[in-house]
Amino acid sequence: MTTRAHTDENAPERDAQPTTDESKTDSAGDADTDPLVTADEIDFAYGTVSVLENVSVAIKPARITALIGPNGVGKTTLLRALAGLASPTAGSISYDGPDTVRPIGYLPQNPAFRPGFTALETLEFYASLVGEDDPHARLERVGLAAAADRRVEALSGGMTQLLGIAQATIGDPPLIALDEPASGLDPGMTTHVFEVATELAATGTAVLLTSHDLDLVERTADEVIFLDDGGVADQGSPSALSDRYEADSLWETYERALTGDLHTIHVRGDSP
Amino acid sequence: MSQPTSAQTDTKPSGVAQIARVIDRERRTLARTRTFVILGVGFAAIVLGLAWSSGGTSGGYVPTVVGLLTPLELLVPVLAVAFGYRAITGDAERGELDVLSTYPIGAHHHVLGVYLGRAIGLLVVVFVSLLLVAIAVVFLRTEPVGWYASHASTDSPILFARFTLLTAFFALTILAIAIAVSAVAREARTVIVLAVTALVVVLVGLDLALVYGFASGIIGDGSLLHAIAFSPLSAYRGLVFESVVITAAGTGPQTASVPSSVFGLLVWTVGSLVVATLATKR
Repeated sequence: MTTRAHTDENAPERDAQPTTDESKTDSAGDADTDPLVTADEIDFAYGTVSVLENVSVAIKPARITALIGPNGVGKTTLLRALAGLASPTAGSISYDGPDTVRPIGYLPQNPAFRPGFTALETLEFYASLVGEDDPHARLERVGLAAAADRRVEALSGGMTQLLGIAQATIGDPPLIALDEPASGLDPGMTTHVFEVATELAATGTAVLLTSHDLDLVERTADEVIFLDDGGVADQGSPSALSDRYEADSLWETYERALTGDLHTIHVRGDSP
Repeated sequence: MSQPTSAQTDTKPSGVAQIARVIDRERRTLARTRTFVILGVGFAAIVLGLAWSSGGTSGGYVPTVVGLLTPLELLVPVLAVAFGYRAITGDAERGELDVLSTYPIGAHHHVLGVYLGRAIGLLVVVFVSLLLVAIAVVFLRTEPVGWYASHASTDSPILFARFTLLTAFFALTILAIAIAVSAVAREARTVIVLAVTALVVVLVGLDLALVYGFASGIIGDGSLLHAIAFSPLSAYRGLVFESVVITAAGTGPQTASVPSSVFGLLVWTVGSLVVATLATKR
């Protein structure tokens, strides 16, 4: 796993940051675990606008990996690329997981479902595509069984998010990519969403998510990848990152690891 | 939390089974969306009203066909586009197209399922509407019914059934074009513009192109009967004239090549579904 070079004055410790191999080791002490998905020096551009450059990351099973960074830094782009939904303009992404009926599950940002169908009917449709016959179990798994017969357009934002996560788990994919799964949710529902992610990881699933909730990421993520200025600013377990930056929290680490003004939107590339 | 492994089978459903799932989803969408129900009832009422007001129903089946042909040349494309233009765009806007791409269903199976599911609803509307017209002819016609068009000037319900099948064929072709538009557009604003453009091209543009081709000599006299198959609208009109109107009249100049017209509609249908599949794969 490679990281980009860091030169900003806010991170005096970076000169002493570990090498690639050390990064793997300090993540969670599982350097021997084979990655499920590997991105190797990928670039991504929308037309002339470069979003990601020379990004290399590895997603391992039974762990929660969180992509963190300012708005517009390319978190969703990287997540979609790792989920196989977008092809990088350079570099390669490889999936080395088991041969299953559905290798990757995906929850889009702001999920929505076809109106006129109940939550259970919606899952029945998706489950039928992989040969599952008990979608109700998926609803129970995320705590949405009580709303099984409610039409999707009548679900609250949190319920829709949970339905989206239930959908992402259909087929028991080895990797589940969740794009801001707690976006717009109240604190209780946000905590519940992260609990579901933790439980998924406990069953061996690799959970890849983007989030702006650094407190919950710090508590639940096994691996944090800071994205900044088109690349990986740093990565590691929350505790290792905190130690590296001599920070008391992931938020402090975030402030020290990222370059530039965190209160300003960064725009990369030339205008098309 | 335990994995619900009991809910899972190891085998992926066949392509046919997956198409059937998508068909069922589309069919239920149509049945549960009030807009489609209103559209279907409105179409039936307009067709019935036109048939009655034109006086065709009292004259028999073929006069009814002659009276309905021109209005249906406009109404059927509008109905078919309304049934199909948001079929894939809606999924794309909601992010469900991305979600579906993580499932083991091919784009061709998805598009075919969407097309067939929407086609069921469209055909129900077309068949029920024209069946009501046929029933009206039974009760309102002044001449006795002749079942077989075995000689000149024979009116027959079989000719009307043939007209109904040709209209259904035409509707399915336009639906395929609408599905292609829906797959290419992906956004609400774009799909409306593209759908209107497709309607204008089908209703006016291709016929004007044929007229220009004929007037400028690009299309020769000998190839005109085949060339009109290039336009779905002209192909449909030609088929109705050849298979219904002229058959009933017993004589008249050849207005179209039936094989070419059928081939033209098939090419438009299959070609549009291929375009939709390629666009969905993006």
